[in-house]
Amino acid sequence: MAKVIGLVNLHANVDYKGLTERRPAASVSFLGRYGIIDFALSNFSNSGIDSVGVLIKEKPRSLFKHMGLGNSWNFNSKSGGISLLYNEKYANNPHYNHDINNMIENKYFFNKTKADYVVIAPAHIITTLNYSEVVEAHEKSGSKITMVYKNIDDADKSFIGEKYVSVKNNKIIEVVVNKGNRKKRCMSLSTYVINLDYLMKLMKKSSSVSAFFDLSDILGYLCDEADIAAYEYRGYATCLNSLEAYYKHSLEFLDIEIFSTVFKSNWPIYTNTKDTPPSKYKANAKVKKGFVANGAIVDGHVENSIIGRDVVIGTGAVVKNSILLSGSVVGPGAVLENVILDKDSKVEVSKSLTGTSIEPLYVKEGDVV
Amino acid sequence: MNREMVAMILAGGRGTRLEALTAHIAKPAVYFGGKYRIIDFPLSNCANSGIDVVGVLTQYESVLLGTYVGSGIKWGLSGSNSSAAILPARERGEVGATWYAGTADAIYQNISFLDEYDPEYVLILSGDHIYKMDYDKMLEEHKKENADCTIAVLNVSLEEASRFGIMNAKEDGTIYEFEEKPEHPKSTLASMGIYIFTYKELKKYLVDDAAVADSKHDFGMNIIPAMLNAGKKLFAYEFAGYWKDVGTVESLWQANIDLLSDEDLDMYNLKRDWKIYTGDTNSHPQIIGEQGDITNSMVTQGCIIEGEVKGSVLFDSVHVGNGAKVVDSVVMPGALIEEGAEVYKAIIDENVVVTSGTIINKEAKNVALVSNND
Repeated sequence: MAKVIGLVNLHANVDYKGLTERRPAASVSFLGRYGIIDFALSNFSNSGIDSVGVLIKEKPRSLFKHMGLGNSWNFNSKSGGISLLYNEKYANNPHYNHDINNMIENKYFFNKTKADYVVIAPAHIITTLNYSEVVEAHEKSGSKITMVYKNIDDADKSFIGEKYVSVKNNKIIEVVVNKGNRKKRCMSLSTYVINLDYLMKLMKKSSSVSAFFDLSDILGYLCDEADIAAYEYRGYATCLNSLEAYYKHSLEFLDIEIFSTVFKSNWPIYTNTKDTPPSKYKANAKVKKGFVANGAIVDGHVENSIIGRDVVIGTGAVVKNSILLSGSVVGPGAVLENVILDKDSKVEVSKSLTGTSIEPLYVKEGDVV
Repeated sequence: MNREMVAMILAGGRGTRLEALTAHIAKPAVYFGGKYRIIDFPLSNCANSGIDVVGVLTQYESVLLGTYVGSGIKWGLSGSNSSAAILPARERGEVGATWYAGTADAIYQNISFLDEYDPEYVLILSGDHIYKMDYDKMLEEHKKENADCTIAVLNVSLEEASRFGIMNAKEDGTIYEFEEKPEHPKSTLASMGIYIFTYKELKKYLVDDAAVADSKHDFGMNIIPAMLNAGKKLFAYEFAGYWKDVGTVESLWQANIDLLSDEDLDMYNLKRDWKIYTGDTNSHPQIIGEQGDITNSMVTQGCIIEGEVKGSVLFDSVHVGNGAKVVDSVVMPGALIEEGAEVYKAIIDENVVVTSGTIINKEAKNVALVSNND
């Protein structure tokens, strides 16, 4: 069997405003229980790939803490493991801080793996993609590169700024930025299978074409001549590349139908767990449509919201269409609608906070309002 | 490798009075409090008290318990300087295959394990009690009193006292008499089954006791009385706080329900000093549907709640269907309460399916136990 290693590529342009001020999108809390990166990591784990590198773009502290030794995702630390690949040299230089330069800087990681193929996937596109099936198709195709895409019919509203592809005879013939001017698109999931030796060549080639080129740029530049196989994914995919998308698609998961397409017993999503006790619902609790993470104590009304670990919702408080990150506190009687509370923030003085569905009101980590 | 104090957790008991719940698992491995197993409490207490080496003595249905405890990583006990060791009754070179004949015999059979760490003190614990306790403070007292044995005691009511082993102690805490389940108790200081021994004393008494053919090889019945007779210094260490021996179906149900109004045990660690660690699972986030209605309850990850849940404790991956009702009950992992089913004052065991339309224990006088092991 071919040896496959994985790479989670965090070099995409993903900005959740306040939420990503001090942390990468990859470690932003998701559905009350996860970090966004957990989906890509779990896909690797469930696909039987247990040697994984993470290409880190910036602000790595909270990610380092989240990842630990990688045990949470079953990356056996003896036969495989997790490698955190960071490019300190270019950390503060936006034009040079891209995935190609990160891979060049961390070449040792590739040199010592003896892998045949590398699967590269982003963190901010949530899927339950089985990479081993893509690798199988890649081997059959005889191409050196396979790109994964998905047909969507709401490209005017989602995946804005991501790349779409044109496919002909199962080959990628064009890679273009989605400006949202059409509904139906074959969206690139920024997920690739590449022969390792070819990837090494590609790194050199890329920097000789343009020092500012990242992986998707060079693939777009080369796609006429390079023979890139196309792989269509038909499962669930959602792109969390802006605060608006993060907020909207997070709440969409409260639809039990969407929820059950993603959470299946044969495809567990792993995360770094915290030994928090079960959630507690007190006498005045009234919760409908909600994720409530362990350790939360609820004595108010919650509707269409995501409640993180160790959140406290006081007596008579009302929380609607909101996302409360771990450790945040909603004081008794406070009313929140379309709000994101970052970790450990407290609503004490303000009795009413209201945002809009396009721009949720955001309270910074640790702030008291 | 010298250690000041090594802990030994007695986890071999079957717990027959828990009926079907212990048909295939040892009592310390029984589920508790929505996501824990009972043994999480003494193990977390050890970890939080700064004890690095813990022996877990197993006998009845030891496989699941041994797998669960593993190397102790769940409680942070698997560093290069710490470990949890599973110590099942086993075949030994000089005597062949034996079982643990009593609590004292279980420790006696593992003297070689203890000697390896050469501890000054040994802490003996039960694997089936629910409480939070700082064993380091108890050790401080043991040292201060220069005791040979310190026994943790709980002040119980006079009516309850005849159910316990009772320590009769002087004002200064020195124990002068021990009575097992006395009909007319002289004191209300009940032994919690938690002992700190000065190891070299303990070893002597264990060796002597092992040679007595008609001994029950039990700490309460044999070792403690022998030490009292010999004039050793036994000290009562009074514990104030929540402590429960969950020995029966009724008391297991009650201890779970106690958590809903919990102040003493501080399961939510609001004091930020004493977390109970456990084997977390990878189930999905807990989701409450459009018709969900939960009050006065504890519900954990993996649950899907589409019906009504009142005054109950729900474990991992319990599904309460549309229009179903769960009232004053404890529902263990993977159970399914189908649409329209109703459950009152019950313990629903692991993976039980309560089919649509079934009503369990409506009159709710005693606790009903529903198990696939019946």
